[in-house]
Order: sequence, then structure tokens, then C-alpha cells
Amino acid sequence: MDFILQQFINGLTVGGIYALIALGYTMVYGVLKLINFAHGDLCILGAYIGLTSLTSGAFGGLSTPVLLALSFIIAMIVVAVAGTLLDQLAYKPLRRAHRLSPVVSALGASMLIENGIMLIWGPNVRVFPKDLLPNITWHIGGAYLSFVQLMIMIGAFVLMVALYLFVHHTRLGTAIRAAAIDQDAARLMGINVNRVIALVFIIGPVLGAVGGLFIGLYYRQAYFTMGWSYGLSAFIAAIIGGIGNIPGAMLGGLLLGLFNAFAAGYVSSSWQDAITFALLIAILLVRPSGLLGERVAEKV
Amino acid sequence: MNQTVQPGQAPDGADTLLELDGIGISFGGLRAVDDLSFRVQSGQIVGLIGPNGAGKTTVFNMITGVYQPTDGHIRWHGRELTGMPPHRIAQAGIRRTFQTIRLFADMSVLENVIAGEHLQIRQKWWQGLLNTPAQRREEKDLVDRAMAVLEKMDLAGVAHENATSLPYGAQRRVEMARTLVAGPELVILDEPAAGLNEFESAALNDTIRAIRDTGVTVILVEHDMSVVMNVTDNIVVINFGKKIAEGKPEEIRSNPLVIEAYLGQDDDEDDPLMEAVQEATS
Amino acid sequence: MDDRVTETTAGSPAPSVPVPAASKPSGWSGLLRFVGPLLWCVGLLLPVTLSPAWITVGGIFAIYAIVALSQDIVLGRAGMYDMGHAVYFGVGAYISAILSLTFGWPILWTIPVAVVVSAALGAVLSAPIVKLRGDYLLVVTIGFNAIFVLAMKNNLFGLTGGPDGIFGVSGPSVFGHVFGSQSDLFYLNWVVLALVLWIMRNLDRSALGRTFRYLKYDELAATTLGVNAHRYKVAAFALAAGIAGLAGTLFAMQLSAVSPGSFQFTDSVVLFAIVLVGGQASVPGVLLGTAMMFVVPQIFTDLAQYRYLVFGIAMIVVMVLRPQGIWPARRRGA
Repeated sequence: MDFILQQFINGLTVGGIYALIALGYTMVYGVLKLINFAHGDLCILGAYIGLTSLTSGAFGGLSTPVLLALSFIIAMIVVAVAGTLLDQLAYKPLRRAHRLSPVVSALGASMLIENGIMLIWGPNVRVFPKDLLPNITWHIGGAYLSFVQLMIMIGAFVLMVALYLFVHHTRLGTAIRAAAIDQDAARLMGINVNRVIALVFIIGPVLGAVGGLFIGLYYRQAYFTMGWSYGLSAFIAAIIGGIGNIPGAMLGGLLLGLFNAFAAGYVSSSWQDAITFALLIAILLVRPSGLLGERVAEKV
Repeated sequence: MNQTVQPGQAPDGADTLLELDGIGISFGGLRAVDDLSFRVQSGQIVGLIGPNGAGKTTVFNMITGVYQPTDGHIRWHGRELTGMPPHRIAQAGIRRTFQTIRLFADMSVLENVIAGEHLQIRQKWWQGLLNTPAQRREEKDLVDRAMAVLEKMDLAGVAHENATSLPYGAQRRVEMARTLVAGPELVILDEPAAGLNEFESAALNDTIRAIRDTGVTVILVEHDMSVVMNVTDNIVVINFGKKIAEGKPEEIRSNPLVIEAYLGQDDDEDDPLMEAVQEATS
Repeated sequence: MDDRVTETTAGSPAPSVPVPAASKPSGWSGLLRFVGPLLWCVGLLLPVTLSPAWITVGGIFAIYAIVALSQDIVLGRAGMYDMGHAVYFGVGAYISAILSLTFGWPILWTIPVAVVVSAALGAVLSAPIVKLRGDYLLVVTIGFNAIFVLAMKNNLFGLTGGPDGIFGVSGPSVFGHVFGSQSDLFYLNWVVLALVLWIMRNLDRSALGRTFRYLKYDELAATTLGVNAHRYKVAAFALAAGIAGLAGTLFAMQLSAVSPGSFQFTDSVVLFAIVLVGGQASVPGVLLGTAMMFVVPQIFTDLAQYRYLVFGIAMIVVMVLRPQGIWPARRRGA
């Protein structure tokens, strides 16, 4: 029972991170039908920017909580700018192009960002400073809940709720949903689709930056290939939930986090990833629209 | 059609080539085609007409395997055809053209017509990869057969032009050539007159008759009455997915149900539009 | 050609020029017909004119050119988004290494097995997935690639040697003499490259190659002409996988080792990008793309760490500025 509860806690923590990153994939795919392969790298960029803010010493004199909050804000801003640049330079020129062009561009952007990170911050693992967060651990049942885990869970939850409210209860949010369903119809209804896309490339990366920095704080490390590994997991989560579907990304992220946590207890980690991929393939073959996605019939 | 007809037999004794028996299909909640039945005899030219949205192309798509009917049967020479995928239906000897002309972009006219010979190709994959003499001989035969059809359709001069760079009417003829090169038993033409002018439509009528004269049965979906009324032996009229009339062109022309379906009002002798219809179909 | 003429002409005169081969192969224009083989012959001189390091580069180029051409079969010619092609490359390499080192087979005998097994795997893996929409197919192939790498790392069946792989693969031996030098391997790779180029040329002119094109341009129309789409799509994968497996055996000999690190997602991405950046269904385009990725970086070895950065930028720039690829296939028809 303790074991299950512990895995539950671990799973929800990682699941929250996956969900935040998955949302970026799903929102871009929803509106542009594009798999933004560079998204994972943007999220890890957030981790690195946060790390730099925390360790640069430029903010000496600030108390730790304020410094932490500031580093989050800086990371979010930088990644939002990066995401916008990414769209403007690599995707926007290809809006009307053949379907494969944005895919190649996205892969190129991913390579660019990942290797840019490596060149700037070095290929070695970078360690996050100790004692950024209170070293408190609560005992719940027989399981442990650390401060950072609680922070991540609450942070992810708050952001997800905020996004959900935004998407369902504001005009801009509804515009995003409309553009995701039918871009041309949305345009005809007077929605400025370009602005919607620009917004998506801010919201997604911002959430992802938070997720990336959470990863850094949770594991207290960052390395430049994390973008690929976490990005892929989050992408799988988005597909499980139904790519293009916002609640789906949240659900998929949580489920995948839980799945990984529980699988880690029973299966060696080296095979764990293989199982995740097998699950992904199975889902795509049986129900490609994911758990919450709409089944779209092909019209002839 | 007031004679009793034996199943599978036309009054004049010719065999029924294609039979639709109670065909129906739904898309979500929409009943697109409902309980549709008619027969096509070998050597006939049958027209399928109806107002826009009546379900004509849907019927075609069911016959050619693009959609699977949810009810009913389609029979070919008495054999079950329902639910077969498009390539098996092509194997059975049925070919079709498309309303929107689906020629292969980036390929020449000749290459497009050769595509129609796909099922006649005997070369094995490894013979192709090794460029064996047998394969080269077959390639030459494919080209010869395709050129023969192109000559008949007066397209030999453009054989090496990019197919989609031709004018619309020529593209239609290329698609027709591609459909005929395989020597099908039944050809289904989906709005072949769309986009053609008066002269081209008249030429189309000749082409369709010439096709039938080579022994090929034709089913035709068409809006252009100058084609339908002049070229078909039998017409099936559908509206809202159901058959509302069937018979010879003269019968259909004056059938009040048909007129109402197209014009949505009672027969009116003084209506200039009605007169135009009468004139076009005489 | 006036198609408004309603009277038929007495019969168009038969073409006075003999009709050339049914499909003009892409990229092999009249000029290149001679330039290609000429360049290949020049390549034969490399081992006597260049330093050993460059001979190795030439050998590696030939191997990756073969894999890239096989990627082009699935992606450029049959139009399917395969981003896990490194799997078949790796399967060929591993089979050769395992059969020769663990089971003592002479390496040349492992080649047909590697080709057949890779092709069979290509057929088996593709059969359930070719029906998927483009994006989903792409993701599934990524998944296959990831599973393959993990399986190899985990020393599958105790044969694959773990994360470090398998060492000590030797070159082919004929009459007891081992041909293992860089020059020997270069000649072997260069000859196999010529063979593959010949096969690609024949593919273009064959019914099989045409059928792939029909499926790429308009699958629906193709099926109404009798094309069994599923069968041909699987065939494309199988053929491509077999050729990639062949390259894999050469790779095993070239490096005298195989490891999971050579067949990862990044490697599949590179192959994918080579085809799209070089030019789909274009042999010169694919060769150019391969050279860009595997030869050019060797020229700037001191900038090696920037290799992926530069390639990433190049991918974006080419897609934005020249989406048809650097050396696109020739348009068919005049």
C-alpha cells in the first residue's frame, strides 16, 4: 500500500511535468497539424535559462524564493520569445507548403536548439544548486512527499486549470479552439488566425518552460539531450490523450507519469521505455485519435 | 417497365451485368442513399441523374468500392461485389472516371494512360529491378497499346506533355483513355461533361457511343441534359438518395416526379425555364 | 493541340520518333547519363590518390548513400513518412556481425541473410502500419526505431552485446586472404553503390517504380486502376529495408563493429532530411544530400561540433527557400 501510494505521488509529479510539456505539442498540432519536434528542446531551454538565472549571481541579495520566482519568469519570457522566433522563421514561411516541409524544418529547429544549448552550456550534465527549495518531506501513510514534488503538483495543477479556463471561458481561448477545428472557417468568422497561432506559440512554450525548469529542480540536473527524451515522452502523452485535444494532453501526461512510476517498480528501467513505445504503437494502431480525441472520418 | 422480368434477365434476354439491390448507406446520422435498386444490362448506356446532393456520386463510390454500403447488395455477373475494395473491383473489369479528374500530376499523358494497364502487367518485381529483356519487351508493348488508344482519342501528339498542363477538355480525354486502355467491361463516367462547352459535349456523345460500340457498357452520372437525353438507353433518377423514376429518356423527360425534383414546383407549360428544359432535351 | 475540333482527323500520324522508354528516369538527363558513370569511374581512383582518412570518408559516403537511396524508395518514391529507417540499416549490420563473430560464418555469406531478414522485417513491420495517416505513420516508425535501439542495448537474446555492441567484424576473405584495408573496403562499397544505383535506375523504368509513384501522387485513383495499395506499400518498405540491410553489412565491415548508437532516432532523422533536402525521388539529389551530411563536415573537422547545428539550420533554410529540394527530380513530360 505504501509502495502504491509512493508510486502514485511520484507518478503525479512527473505526470504533471509531462502534461505541461504535452500541452505545447497538442496546442500547436491542434491549430497547425504540425508536430513541433523542437518543443521538447524549448522546454529544456527553459531549464537551462532558469539554471543560469539561479546561478549567475547577478541577482545577489535576493531571497531564495524571490530568486526562484524570478528565474521562472525569466525562463518563461526567454522561451516564449524563442518559440515565437521559431514560428516566425521556421514555420510561418511554410504555412502553404507541402506537408513535409514543416516537419523537416521542425527537425532542423530541434537540432539547432539542442546543439545550440550544447555549445553554450557544454555537453556535460549541469547540476542545480542545493537548498533552493526547503528540504521538507512529509509522511503520508508510509510514503514520502517532498516539497519539490508538492510544488510541482500544485504548480502544474494551477497552470492546467488556468489554461482550461482560458481556453473555454475567454474569447481568445475560444478563437484558439475554433482555429484548431477549422482554420478556414475560423478565418471566415473574423478570427485573426495569425494572432491565434502566435499566441499558441507563446502559451505552449511558456508552459513547457515551466515544465522544463520543474524537471531541473526535481532531478537537480540538466543535460542537453533531455529535450529529446522528455519531449518524446510528453509527445507520447499528447497522443495517448488525443493529439490536438487540450484536456487530452493533461490526461495523457498524468497517465503516462503514473504508468512510468508504476512500471519502474516492476520492470527494469531499460525495458520500461520499450514498453512505453509499444504502448504508443498499439494506441496508434487501434485508436489513433487517442483517449479523448475525435474520430475523424476521411472524406473522399 | 411494366413487364415482369426474371431476376438476372432483361426483357430482350441480355444478361444483367451489374445489379444494385436495395443499396443503402449512412454517414453519421445522414441517410445518403436508401433502398436503391436498378439493373444495368450488358451493352447499355445507363444514365444516373438527380438534383445536386441527390447521392449520385455516393452511389458511384459504392459501386467502385470507395465506400462500403451498409445495406443491400451489389452484384456483378450475379457474383457478390458488395464491400470489395477498389482494386478488386477494378480487377473485375470495372473502371471509372472522376468528377474532378484525377490524373497523376508530374506525369506525362502517355505515362498516365500506361497506368491504366496496371492489371495487365506480367513482369515480376525482380525482372523490373534487373531490367531483363522480357521486362523491356513488355514495356514496349505497354507503350504501344497506350499510344494506340491515344491515337484513337486524338491525343497522340501530346503523349509526352505533362498531363495536368493540358486544357481541361483534353485532360478529360486523357482520363478516358486511361480508363479504356485496359479493355474494361463496364465504365462509369462521373460527370464527364462538366466544364465542356456545346461542341465538346456533342463530341462527348460520339465518344460515349463509340465506347459502347466496342462492347463496353457505360454508366453515366451527368447534369448536362443534352448528353443524358441523347445518349442513354435507360435512365435512373434519384433524389435524396432514393430512386424516384426509371425508364427511357422520353419517359423520364415528361415524368412529373422528375420535373418536380429538379425544379421544385408543379409542371408549368408557360414557365420559360421549363421550356428551356424541354428544348434542351428534345 | 486544339481540342475543340469536333471532327476527328483521319488518324494522327504515327510518331516519327521512336517512343522512348515509358518513364524517363528522374535526374538522369542526357548529360548526366554520362556524367554519372564517369564520376563513378573517377571514384575508383580515389584510393590511389587520397590519404587513408579520405578513403574512409569515401567508403562511409558510399554506405550512407546506399541507405539514403533506400530511404528515398519509401519516402521520395512511395510517399510514406518513414522516420525509423535506421532500424533496417542496423538489422543488417547486427545480423552480419552476429553471424560472423558468434557463429563463425564467413562474412560474405552473411550478406544475403542480412538482406533477406531486413527485407522480411520491413514487410512485417510495415504491414500493420501503412494504412495510417502520414503523421501517425511517422510517429510509429519513430517508435519502432526506439524499441530496436533499446532491444540492442539490452543485449537481446544475449547476442547483441549491450550498449557497446559487437567488436571485431572483419572484412571479406577470399581464398584465405582477408580484404580488410580501407582501400579494399572502399572498392567493395563503391561497387555495391554502383549496383544499387543501377537498381534505382531500373526501378524508375519499371512497373514497380511507376506503381510507387501512382500511390504517392493519388492513391485513390491508383486503386481504381487495380493497384493493391497495401501490397505495394509493404513492397516498398521491404525493398527499401533489404537495401538498407545490405548497407548495414558493409557498415559492419567498415567499422569492424556495430553498436546501437549508430542506428538511433537522430540517424533516421538525418536520412529523412537527406531525401527531403536533397530532392525527393532524385538520385543526384540524394547523393548530394549524403555528401553534405557525411563528406562536407570532414572538410571542416575543426568545426565538427557545429555539424548538427549547421545541418539543422540548413534544413530550415532549404525548406523555406527551396522546398523542392536542392536537386529536385526532373518533372516528367515535356
